[in-house]
Amino acid sequence: MRKRRLSQSIPPETDGEQRESQKDHSQSANQRQQDRKKHRQHVLRAGLAVVAGRAAGAISRRLHLGGGTSIVGIVAQRIYPEIIEHLATQLECGSVIVTGTNGKTTTSGFIAAILRNSGLRVWHNREGSNLMRGVASLFVICAKPNGQLRRSGRRAISILEIDEATIPQIVKVIEPRVAVFNNLFRDQLDRYGEVDSIISHWREAISQMPASTILVLNADDPSIAHLATGFSGKVLYYGIDDPSLDLQRQHANSEQYQVSDARTCSNCGREYTYDLRFYSHIGHYHCTNCGFHRPKPDIRAIQVQLDSFDHHRITIEHTAQQHEIIVPLPGLYNVYNALAAITAAHALNTDWQPIITGIEQSKPAFGRGELIQAEDRTIRLLLAKNPTGFNEVLRTLFSEGISRHTLFILNDNIADGQDVSWIWDVDFERAVGHTQTLVVSGTRALDLAIRLKYAGIPQKEMTIIPHMPLKGERGTHQTRQQRGANKNQKERQTLPDSEQINSQIANSYGLKSALDTALQQTPVGETLFIVPTYTGLLAVYRELEQRSLTPHFWEGKEA
Amino acid sequence: MSDGFIQPLTLILGHLYPDQLNLYGDRGNILTLRRRCQLRGIELRIVGLGIGDALAPDEYDMLFIGGGQDKEQAPVAQDLHEMKGIGLWAAIEDDMPVLAVCGGFQLLAHYYRPAEGPDMQGLGVFDAWTIHKGARIARCIGNIAIRWNGQTLVGFENHGGRTYLGTAKPLGKVLKGYGNNAEDYTEGAVYRNAYGTYLHGSLLPKNPHFADYLIKLALQRKYRSEFHTGQEKLEELNGHTHIDQVPVNNSQQLERTTGNIVPSLLALDDLLEWEAHASILERLGLHSEAVAVLATQRTRKG
Repeated sequence: MRKRRLSQSIPPETDGEQRESQKDHSQSANQRQQDRKKHRQHVLRAGLAVVAGRAAGAISRRLHLGGGTSIVGIVAQRIYPEIIEHLATQLECGSVIVTGTNGKTTTSGFIAAILRNSGLRVWHNREGSNLMRGVASLFVICAKPNGQLRRSGRRAISILEIDEATIPQIVKVIEPRVAVFNNLFRDQLDRYGEVDSIISHWREAISQMPASTILVLNADDPSIAHLATGFSGKVLYYGIDDPSLDLQRQHANSEQYQVSDARTCSNCGREYTYDLRFYSHIGHYHCTNCGFHRPKPDIRAIQVQLDSFDHHRITIEHTAQQHEIIVPLPGLYNVYNALAAITAAHALNTDWQPIITGIEQSKPAFGRGELIQAEDRTIRLLLAKNPTGFNEVLRTLFSEGISRHTLFILNDNIADGQDVSWIWDVDFERAVGHTQTLVVSGTRALDLAIRLKYAGIPQKEMTIIPHMPLKGERGTHQTRQQRGANKNQKERQTLPDSEQINSQIANSYGLKSALDTALQQTPVGETLFIVPTYTGLLAVYRELEQRSLTPHFWEGKEA
Repeated sequence: MSDGFIQPLTLILGHLYPDQLNLYGDRGNILTLRRRCQLRGIELRIVGLGIGDALAPDEYDMLFIGGGQDKEQAPVAQDLHEMKGIGLWAAIEDDMPVLAVCGGFQLLAHYYRPAEGPDMQGLGVFDAWTIHKGARIARCIGNIAIRWNGQTLVGFENHGGRTYLGTAKPLGKVLKGYGNNAEDYTEGAVYRNAYGTYLHGSLLPKNPHFADYLIKLALQRKYRSEFHTGQEKLEELNGHTHIDQVPVNNSQQLERTTGNIVPSLLALDDLLEWEAHASILERLGLHSEAVAVLATQRTRKG
């Protein structure tokens, strides 16, 4: 209670008024004294916020209430709402913010690696801590009880991955040196509303940025490139200039389904015309009506070559100089993430050497192609949380024509989006005939199983393991287990006993058994590809953690 | 055997604005109709009708229109009036089955009044209108179950506008969820064989009975005249002649009932669909409905 009273006793508005009224007698000793007093109060509050936040975090961890990261920020902000502003301004090299539907975590990871290589001290919020409280937590954890950042100043920089809808709030408290906008796809429509509402959030935020901020924009995403209109500061674009990646050339004969989330010109509403299209609405576009077109990128990949599953060799051209870089991650989307990071580093005047080593030595971020060894098998985690993300994961998985062992997890928790209709916009037809084994799990396993069935994967080729049994099935002898999710009905009726064998396979519910089943079905020495939605990924992680296969990963708890 | 009428049943589905109105997995409805026809040896051809295309009612047997963003809905509304309005009206008056989901539903009512800006004129097929009461009023978002024809329909709704029915009949009564306006427990609207609804998720995959109902309406409408004109043709349609051409369990069976001729569709193994249906009912706390659904499926099997 005392803390609350303290925070109320110094409302920030009166600070500003006092400062103005005191300008007149600016040299008076009286005022200097008051200034010092005010400063002391700020420091005191910041310090108190830091101590209280970190104490709350420690207690929460000790009591196993959760990861104990978000609580730090929540408590600290409660005590001192301007805590982020107070601490962020102490960074000598300022802040970089990264946002977009897909690739925030990987891109900010790349930037952090590059800047560390260049000798900066980097503070980087992790996956899932990308709301205001997560950013506050990051700073508070790095702060001392006197309200100062640890070893503050001295070549310190923060790389902040920010949720799409949080951008306007963060820009109010931090003046970013560089702001990276990656891409915009439909994602969690039940949470964010329509795709267009994100654009208006971002426009509002950009209008508040000072002209000293450098915008780093994806030239190949029309909604992102269009954000530059009306911005008075410097803008750097990145993009891909390799025509061999065009979808039509790659899949001239096969039926392709691509969801486009930016079909019409942001200026005039006419449909874009594409010269090249890499995926979804990403490519080389122009508007035949008003002339809006893809800007010429400052950093451009003139050649992208896939050497192996997670090994892209890209040639980058910048002011007539060429550099070859290996991107050690799967998927074309990660080439874009690397380009975004390179461009952001370039905006901060980083040399090429740390850029190249930073990218090449990067490990996959949490669940983004990450490799884990388990029971003599390799697990590869590929997060897929929206139609375009899922489409690109499927393309990455099945483009080489190799059959894969797969576990799909579809959840509909708040962090995933409660509306799962987006799975119908995913091109699962691509997986048909390429899944050597397939387990379907999650809170919406049944929805996903129907989707796969309608894509043309026979039901007997999948093992469906929902998170829990239907209550309506309780007490009836013919439960899901006994059906084994496999047999057609005639066999089921005539051969009740043989079902018992099958029931070994799918005799269970929940993620644990889904993971067990998927691992069992994967032969020793082979790779199991797990494609989960966001909370599915967290659950897989927790499960692997309990088997001591992964390090603790508390950060994920927050989102 | 005469050579006159040996051909598989064919239906043509007109998909209105597939590029503009596809926000909430509307493709799922199309894929469902296609697959459920395919499994019965019915050929379902899908024709996309974009902006600028005219709608000739004789060319189609079914129409589908999905939902989109407000930005995309405005040019669609204009096109619907100018290019397709008369054709659509004619089709609906001729009992063509039409499914309109979310934005499409709003466009088939009288008007959509956005929070800002001018009204968007609809076709007025349904005597209903939609008002968006501003950003401060919460959107209707979440899982929903309604009672339709003594059965349940489940889906997901996500709409800012509230729809109020005039003389239009609702599609169903809301059991759990918001429905048209979160006030009067109505959901959707029906006029002849045109169905408007807010349910997506997608609607048809988890509601196979509704998908089959639409297919039946289309078959009935298309082949009714032929059933009446010649007994011979009916016999042929009844699976006797084209049985050689299509695998047995894929062939379409048409049964004659007293007076009217109603095609009855081959039953499919929909257990997975019904389990998904029941799991949504259970999530909404509608346990007795869920039990009923599962029991029906089991007795059907037994």
